[in-house]
Amino acid sequence: MLDVAKYLLLVGFLTWLMWRGSEQLGYNWQWYRVPRYLFTFQDGHLTGGPLWSGLLVTFKITGVSLLLSFAFGLLAALFRLSESFMARLVARGYVELIRNTPLLIQLFFIYFVLAPVLGLERFSSAVLALSLFEGAYASEIIRAGIVSVHKGQWEAAYSLGLSGLDTYRFVILPQAFRRVLPPLTGQAVSLVKDSALVSTIAIYDLTMNGQSIVAETFLTFEIWFTVAAVYLAVTLSLSLAVAAMERRMKIEF
Amino acid sequence: MECKILGDCIISVDNVVKTYPGGVRALRGVSLEVRRQEVVVVIGPSGSGKSTLLRCLNGLEEIDSGSIVIDDITLDHHKKNRLAIRKEVGMVFQSFNLFPHMTVQENINLAQRQVRRKSKAEAVRTTMNLLNKVGIADKVDAYPGQLSGGQQQRVAIARALAMEPNVMLFDEATSALDPEMIGEVLEVMKNLAKEGTTMVVVTHEMGFAREVADRVIFMEDGGIVEEGPVGHFFNTPQEDRTRLFLSKIL
Repeated sequence: MLDVAKYLLLVGFLTWLMWRGSEQLGYNWQWYRVPRYLFTFQDGHLTGGPLWSGLLVTFKITGVSLLLSFAFGLLAALFRLSESFMARLVARGYVELIRNTPLLIQLFFIYFVLAPVLGLERFSSAVLALSLFEGAYASEIIRAGIVSVHKGQWEAAYSLGLSGLDTYRFVILPQAFRRVLPPLTGQAVSLVKDSALVSTIAIYDLTMNGQSIVAETFLTFEIWFTVAAVYLAVTLSLSLAVAAMERRMKIEF
Repeated sequence: MECKILGDCIISVDNVVKTYPGGVRALRGVSLEVRRQEVVVVIGPSGSGKSTLLRCLNGLEEIDSGSIVIDDITLDHHKKNRLAIRKEVGMVFQSFNLFPHMTVQENINLAQRQVRRKSKAEAVRTTMNLLNKVGIADKVDAYPGQLSGGQQQRVAIARALAMEPNVMLFDEATSALDPEMIGEVLEVMKNLAKEGTTMVVVTHEMGFAREVADRVIFMEDGGIVEEGPVGHFFNTPQEDRTRLFLSKIL
């Protein structure tokens, strides 16, 4: 009961702080102008506004990148743990290079330097840059998961005559993934937010559309807050979905 | 393959040396032969190399020198041979090592399906037969985490048997069990021995050794100190070190 009171006090204080802040800003809040950029209601039809269509683009980019970054991450993790020196070197180089340079510059590099050579479009460049970036982080998470599986599991699988590939597929990876699901989700959330950077190569995602609305209407704070709220809704639903999945897949020891 | 000892030889270990990274000599020139249908019990103090010997027999550890031949397949650096030997050699571990994300049935089916390429129906039939044999057919759909230690170890034995191995290795299979569960696992092992399974058993259960073993091997400091037929070994040990060890544990 006391905790609830304390919590309400805290929330109340923060609200007051924000309200005071916005008052002193002398900003003319015009929230009523925002909804039309999300949805418009015409002739009995609900039509998506520019923020909605931007969100769909963001979905498309993050969806494809998520799958691809997972593939990159898994491959790099397996390379890192392989017996071949060459494979380990390649994976190590990939992870270090990507993790130690800014995503924005990678995006520019792929879009302006690689894309013309490889014949990639804008969208594919963005997806490639994002998945290479998140894949490097994912690979370290997946590797940690694989290493954390008890040595006895490998030995049991080997002693049954399973090949290395089968051991990974049926014994090690299913256990590793259950363990790294929470940090991988964090990585997926990062991916959703990092996808905002693709607006820099003129892809009309949620951020890019937000930016152009602000430029037209000067509703700076209202639009950016709305955009942030939309990202929050997306990442929160993602986290909740994975948490539900985690509960279903839980194993007893 | 002819043994130096009489009979049909299935395992032949010759002068095997194994050094762990860091310089620990685990095996210093061990030679050993096991006949078909023989039950060999390996005893010795901890750190004597008996588990290492067992792990070398199915290629879980690589040996530095010497040779291991099982069922006419030489265990060497060739992956193919190592896989072939592992198919023929079943192993039961001290810590069970069941796959926790699979049911009992899936644990036992896995290698039958992936390695022996059996049909699902065929694998399930074998699995049910084996579970009946080790007395836990009612647990077929349980997960390892829901079973007692003794039940888990019996599943692990069934899992190894599902590959229809020519040799079974037991690495302190009862050491991690609560006392009241040791009996049920030993019972399963005794039945296997009676059926004529070739077994190499590392154990501290001297009662089991006396009752089931054909031959006992005593190891110390990475070498075989003494070996002999079970009655002979326990009643009239030849070596001082053997006598000392036996006097401590019996």
